[in-house]
Amino acid sequence: MSAPTTPLLRVRDLKTYFPIRRGLLRRQVGAVRAVDGLSFDLSAGQTLALVGESGCGKTTVGRSVLRLVEPTAGSIQLEGQELLQLSEKELQPLRQKVQMVFQDPMTSLNPRMRVRQILSEGLKSFGICKNPGELEDRVAAAMSRVQLLPEQLDRFPHEFSGGQRQRIGIARALAVEPQVLICDEAVSALDVSIQAQILNLLSELQEELSLAYLFITHDLSVVRFLAHDVAVMYLGQIVEQAPSTELFAKPEHPYTQGLLAAVPSPDPDQPRVQARVLGDLPSPASPPAGCRFHPRCGQALARCSTDPPLLELKAGREARCWLVDAES
Amino acid sequence: MSEEPVLKVEGLQTSFPLGGKDVPIVDGVSFALHPGRCLALVGESGCGKSMTALSLMRLIPQPGSITGGDIFLEGEGLRSLSVPQMRSLRGKKMGMIFQEPMTSLNPVTRVGEQVIEAIRIHEKVSKRAARARVIEIFRQVGIPDAESRVEAFPHQLSGGLKQRVMIAMALVLKPRVLIADEPTTALDVTIQAQIIELMRELMTETKTAILLITHDLGVVNQIADDIAVMYAGRVIETGSRRRVLKFPQHPYTQGLLGALPGRAERGQRLHEIAGIVPAPVHWPGGCRFRPRCDRAMEVCAESVPTLLPVGLEGSSEANDLELQGEGNHCCACYAVEEPS
Repeated sequence: MSAPTTPLLRVRDLKTYFPIRRGLLRRQVGAVRAVDGLSFDLSAGQTLALVGESGCGKTTVGRSVLRLVEPTAGSIQLEGQELLQLSEKELQPLRQKVQMVFQDPMTSLNPRMRVRQILSEGLKSFGICKNPGELEDRVAAAMSRVQLLPEQLDRFPHEFSGGQRQRIGIARALAVEPQVLICDEAVSALDVSIQAQILNLLSELQEELSLAYLFITHDLSVVRFLAHDVAVMYLGQIVEQAPSTELFAKPEHPYTQGLLAAVPSPDPDQPRVQARVLGDLPSPASPPAGCRFHPRCGQALARCSTDPPLLELKAGREARCWLVDAES
Repeated sequence: MSEEPVLKVEGLQTSFPLGGKDVPIVDGVSFALHPGRCLALVGESGCGKSMTALSLMRLIPQPGSITGGDIFLEGEGLRSLSVPQMRSLRGKKMGMIFQEPMTSLNPVTRVGEQVIEAIRIHEKVSKRAARARVIEIFRQVGIPDAESRVEAFPHQLSGGLKQRVMIAMALVLKPRVLIADEPTTALDVTIQAQIIELMRELMTETKTAILLITHDLGVVNQIADDIAVMYAGRVIETGSRRRVLKFPQHPYTQGLLGALPGRAERGQRLHEIAGIVPAPVHWPGGCRFRPRCDRAMEVCAESVPTLLPVGLEGSSEANDLELQGEGNHCCACYAVEEPS
């Protein structure tokens, strides 16, 4: 967004629906609109955080970008090349450029593989290394890049601590030298002192390698620390998008405001949390008509039962709310 | 604070046989809990905070056992109680909420039925009377449409509602002490905020004493009056919420607070605590935090530092707090100076 050049990753009107099938004939009776018309840009060296609570569709966005789930409609361009038109075979070499780090390093690393195998698998499948010597060098380089010792390459995942396993997950993603890293709750399962180590590592790597991060998380304090831009998701849609500093200084959408008011601060001088978002998340299979947030919004008007557009407030700042429109 | 503590833990030691010998996972933990107040037991995974909670309820999984110290609930020592005596006390005088509402409720029984069962184990009341009480407590903990929700199965409720059912079940017998083990960790922030507000109301309205067990210092700051920080089975710092969060003394507490990303600006490095929490069999002698501490001295390896009162010099705000009776701040560290 801040870079004037073409973004590395350009997503337009992305829709991923999951069919709901019922009965003997498995007829489709509806669809869970997990991602419903999402657009964003991601440039090299930048971090875009996709924030939202469980069920908002943020994980599906990450998986759709990699086509680990098949999007229903929309456009995903990587360096100007459209990904959704490609066959699986044509797509495969491009996967090298976009890699993923998962939440739980215990279940995302094969427990029967040694770290050496885990790290070299990608290099082999993309045919990156010409000879075994080069493979060995690359694997060792990936290991030291995440501050692990090459001596530990012949160990199994269970021999590492949680933080170290997450480093292995990052090393695996980085081994094939991607440009975009999709981090899905990559630090959420870690204790704070370990989380700090991984967050520092991620910022160093970004600076060094000019990586673009699509950082998917529910943790707003992590977002504030790491992200340049933030997109807040609610029931499959972006409700607000803004540069990180602006979003935290002045959230426009009532949902963002409620989300920020709900984050418990450890500082005794800060105000205590307020529960401003009412009730529970509705089912994404039948989202409320109009503004999807209005049944839980403390400021809802009659007008909110019609769908508000995602309105540009100024460059790089958008919000999907009738109230925001009324003010400006 | 002048009231007698409702729960007093003295030198609690809980051990597990590991590698051929008994290893104390909880090692000499002491604290007192007063009516209507909340004490937070804080620490990272593996520090022994959950095992402390289970020890209080005498629900330690096999083959562990309490090997030292005692627990006093309203003056009564719990270690000497028989199993049936302990069973009649659990739930009645001391309730517990667990982290995972999804796995703590029986999936094939209606939630109302589960709470009714809890009542009828302890009190001779009719099903009808029990049911009326369940509906009432469901309303109190903010479950909308309580009459029909008692008929729901756990899978029909959201995570937030399930946690409210758990809280209702723990509170329906009006226990003096509520042990809440990571009560909001599995919830989304907006739902967590609702539960935090509920717990604050309960404390003021019912005078229930809460032992909050969590790793989340943000949540601690919302609910707790006092804090005890645990590391590797021991309490290493205690004090009022303000004292510990604003003027942490122990290098570990300082490290924990410094590692929180919410306090840092982008581009800044977060404070890291070097290394990892060692497994109990590898706990070092002396101060257990020593291998990860940048202020470690020779004496830290030789003997175990005890919890001693700390003085705060040079800070006027700290002195003000001291005057307000918040001065009960203790720390187990040789590098921290004692008040003269």
